[in-house]
Amino acid sequence: MLLNKIFYTSLFFSVTCCSAVAQDTTDIMRLLENEVADRTDYTTATFKTTRLVNGHTVENVGKGALDVKISHRFGKVNGGGYELFGLDNASMRMGFEYGITNTLMAGVGRSTFQKTYDAFFKLKVLRQSKGNRNMPVTLSYVPTIALKTLKFEDETRKNYFTSRLFFTHQLIIGRKFSEGTSLQLMPTYTHRNLVQLASDPNDLLAIGIGGRQKISKRVSLNFEYYYQLPDYKMLNTTNSLSVGFDIETGGHVFQLHFTNSQAMSERGFVTETTGEWSKGDIFFGFNISRVFTIGKKH
Amino acid sequence: MLKKLAVFILLLVLFSFKLQAPLADYKVSTGTIAFKSDASLELIKAQSNELKGIFIAEKKQFAFIVIIKSFKGFNSPLQQEHFNENYLESNKYPSASFEGKIIEDIDLSADGTYAIRAKGNLSIHGVVQERIIKADITVKNGNISIKSNFTVLLADHNIPIPKVVHEKLASEIKVEIKADLVKK
Repeated sequence: MLLNKIFYTSLFFSVTCCSAVAQDTTDIMRLLENEVADRTDYTTATFKTTRLVNGHTVENVGKGALDVKISHRFGKVNGGGYELFGLDNASMRMGFEYGITNTLMAGVGRSTFQKTYDAFFKLKVLRQSKGNRNMPVTLSYVPTIALKTLKFEDETRKNYFTSRLFFTHQLIIGRKFSEGTSLQLMPTYTHRNLVQLASDPNDLLAIGIGGRQKISKRVSLNFEYYYQLPDYKMLNTTNSLSVGFDIETGGHVFQLHFTNSQAMSERGFVTETTGEWSKGDIFFGFNISRVFTIGKKH
Repeated sequence: MLKKLAVFILLLVLFSFKLQAPLADYKVSTGTIAFKSDASLELIKAQSNELKGIFIAEKKQFAFIVIIKSFKGFNSPLQQEHFNENYLESNKYPSASFEGKIIEDIDLSADGTYAIRAKGNLSIHGVVQERIIKADITVKNGNISIKSNFTVLLADHNIPIPKVVHEKLASEIKVEIKADLVKK
């Protein structure tokens, strides 16, 4: 009986040991994998470019890279055949965005819509990583200033330059859940020096949610929604909802989308959207991003 | 009869325990791996200083590994991102490795340079290819340094080249390895 036990235990051990011998090569690989385990793996390419549709993603342009963005928003799709479903009208934004370091970038832009200049910084405060340093999300901070240079509505009254200024502060909390799926939250605060109605607040709050799902290696489906908090929004504005595609070809990213916002700077699409999807107030648009490398090798 | 068998198996167990767990007696102290894609419109170069490796002299067995994300020196940050994201898919296949045995016998007690062939499994992009790769091994004061040049066909490792970058990306990639190994 005892012998039997020894026999079976030994048999078990010899089988496991023999298999260990047979896996000699795997053992050597395991030894080696310990060698490389000691590092932090930062998540890259959470999104394909620095914009989701209208708003920012957690992505930065790399150090020494210049991203030239040309964006168009056509007229409302419900303009009908006479307006060729909006294609007769277009507003446009030209943007130049530069990576100062890998975590800090700066950009300037000019939109034809309300003749607006905008400038921003984007700072990556936290980077999603695993390994030695585990961080579940990437956190970016984006302060934006916008200057509306459209002529004042009432030129007879005393107008101040500061009335043209808008300030937006955004936190973007993003996570790449898998190779194809990324989501982000964008709490957004906007300050307007001048408001249209006495009842309109100067300080506006919204929370955005956005994400992407890759359809293939180089194509992804994006959505972006900004919910305005009821007590901190202007009268008769709607929430911005956009859906679109990213198509990446080497140094270019083409973004094609439908949105109910015509403006392309934060204070515009977050706080001044008036279009309603249900009424067909939908703007077709595209962004083209072309990255040039100016700085040294990477 | 059963008793004898049990004793035999017991011996076998003890014996196999002895065989288990190979000891790496050489370890890479500094290792670099560089690659070059020389296409008609673009030259792409990148390298990693994080090549790791071990060598078991007694068995002539070796293994090398490099983390794909550690490659640097691309023409742009975006190119590095695309290299990881679209071509090597480094999230799915975080490392490339080569493990196997040296065919020739080398005398590690005598200083000198030996031209050897290493036969083993080259794993890139999750695709394993059996390869014989030539290398020069220099032995000096008991330490080893290795130099090797070889090529990798992207098609061998299931890395397709999209039509739009056909003239910017070579189908055959030149790889250069330099490593110093020290006795543990």
